[in-house]
Amino acid sequence: MLELRIHGRGGQGVVTMAELLAKAAVKTGLEAQTLPFFGVERRGAAVKACVRFDRTPIRIRSMSYHPQAIALMNRNLLPYAQMDGIDPDTYFILNGKEPLDFKADQWLLDAEAVAIENNLVFGGEPFINVPMLGGIAKVLDIPLSAVEETIRGHWSGKKADLNLAAVRQAYAQIKKFEGGRSHE
Amino acid sequence: MSKRMDTGNSACALAVKAAKVDFIAAYPITPQTSISEKLADYAAAGELSGVYLPVESEHSVMSAVAAASAAGSRTFTATSSQGLLYMHEILHYASGGRLPIVMANVNRAVCAPWCLYADHQDSVSQRDTGWLQFHCASHQEIYDTIFLAYKVAEKVKIPAMINYDGFLLSHSMLSFETLEQDLVDQFLTPYRPDWKLHPQWGGTFGNVAAAAEYSAYRNTLAEDTLKAAAVIEEEARNYQKLTGRWHGGMIDVQGPEDADVFLMSMGSMAAEMELAAEALQAMGIKADNLKVRVYRPFPAEALRQALPAHAKLLVFDRNLAYGHEGGALLMEARSALYNRDETVKIAGISLGIGGIDLPASLLTEKALALLEGLK
Repeated sequence: MLELRIHGRGGQGVVTMAELLAKAAVKTGLEAQTLPFFGVERRGAAVKACVRFDRTPIRIRSMSYHPQAIALMNRNLLPYAQMDGIDPDTYFILNGKEPLDFKADQWLLDAEAVAIENNLVFGGEPFINVPMLGGIAKVLDIPLSAVEETIRGHWSGKKADLNLAAVRQAYAQIKKFEGGRSHE
Repeated sequence: MSKRMDTGNSACALAVKAAKVDFIAAYPITPQTSISEKLADYAAAGELSGVYLPVESEHSVMSAVAAASAAGSRTFTATSSQGLLYMHEILHYASGGRLPIVMANVNRAVCAPWCLYADHQDSVSQRDTGWLQFHCASHQEIYDTIFLAYKVAEKVKIPAMINYDGFLLSHSMLSFETLEQDLVDQFLTPYRPDWKLHPQWGGTFGNVAAAAEYSAYRNTLAEDTLKAAAVIEEEARNYQKLTGRWHGGMIDVQGPEDADVFLMSMGSMAAEMELAAEALQAMGIKADNLKVRVYRPFPAEALRQALPAHAKLLVFDRNLAYGHEGGALLMEARSALYNRDETVKIAGISLGIGGIDLPASLLTEKALALLEGLK
């Protein structure tokens, strides 16, 4: 089983991103589970979501403390990730230009830039969940076609086109830092 | 039959739609809200033939649903926590009136302090309202239990509450399979009550009764609630014959034949508990997961039959029985097994209150500690 834990903030679309990832994985024949945690249900407060992928039905009903992968929507969420547990070989998928000052393998995506370039700016704020979806899918070996199909199932028209463009760009742009590991 | 990746609340709403419910009233409360939103969407899109009535409080919800049920409708509502507590008065009306309402209660801790997350204090607090209470451990079980609950409730004329844990099941996504409509229709035929309120027929509902009539009504309800256990077992088998799906009858035990340690719990914990049982088995302990599927009526007979002589029963409650050691399941398990066999030993713990996370590692550790205490 592969476990991913995503740390973000209320309003960033973390739960939607987790759901789209799981749906995309299911399209490839895997079983998946999302387990969101909404904190105190306030915009801007720290939230998280666990996503599990497996070949057999998932019986776990608790949060993830030893994930192979952690995605951070912002580097300032690292303390939350540390509180919830990081294994020595956990690798990070990070929104940002610079790697974390933390000894772990890391994948970097400037998801804000991808959002701005693809007109995913609402109320003056770049929406990074779909760019991050593209980046994470690439790192977790979820085929781009499955992600595209999932996006088409979730949005239609111009909104779908914007999100498809962003997810493709992110899928191509995410880069491994320091020869980082990914799941086996 | 089609496979879906969706939330527990979606599984619930899809089943309610397939059950061809005539009347729904609801008032939003976290983590139930998305059930009533989805049902309102279905009604607005014309996918649901029934009436959807938004009302101003849970007390009015249960009043409206009880009235609609008394008028002969198949009815549904959903709630959580304080919403369920606010319905309390009318829960007694519904069971006393022998109205087969089905309600989803998405388990959430009760105030104070304010808490959004899962425990079973809300539903356990409604234990003596005369409702049947089911608990689910997966999205598939939520979907399938809606049909079972209607079938049983309408047969025994007792309302049914389907419980599942807030967020852990309501907001998590898992795959489940829906059912072809003709199979649903085969299992769940239209509701045809043998009595109903009707403007042309006259009659009253819930009128004053003298002690003799009153006690007869209430004693009959108590007897019929006990008899419902056999109906639940029978209909769960019928559902299995039709669909191949089995989540247990009153309880579910799946483990080794020679098991002598039983881990008893209900709700989402009972799925995670399978992993704890496997961890104990790996340590050489003959452990089995004992999932309580029905809390009301209490599965006393099923429990008596499931446990061999010299069994050790470890009870995990996600509720607190104030003024008593442990929680409600522990208390009732002890009561059910009293005098059954002196060699059966019972221990228990309350945990996971207010949504404290219950990973299998923690459940395993607690099970080992309880076993140590029984030595």
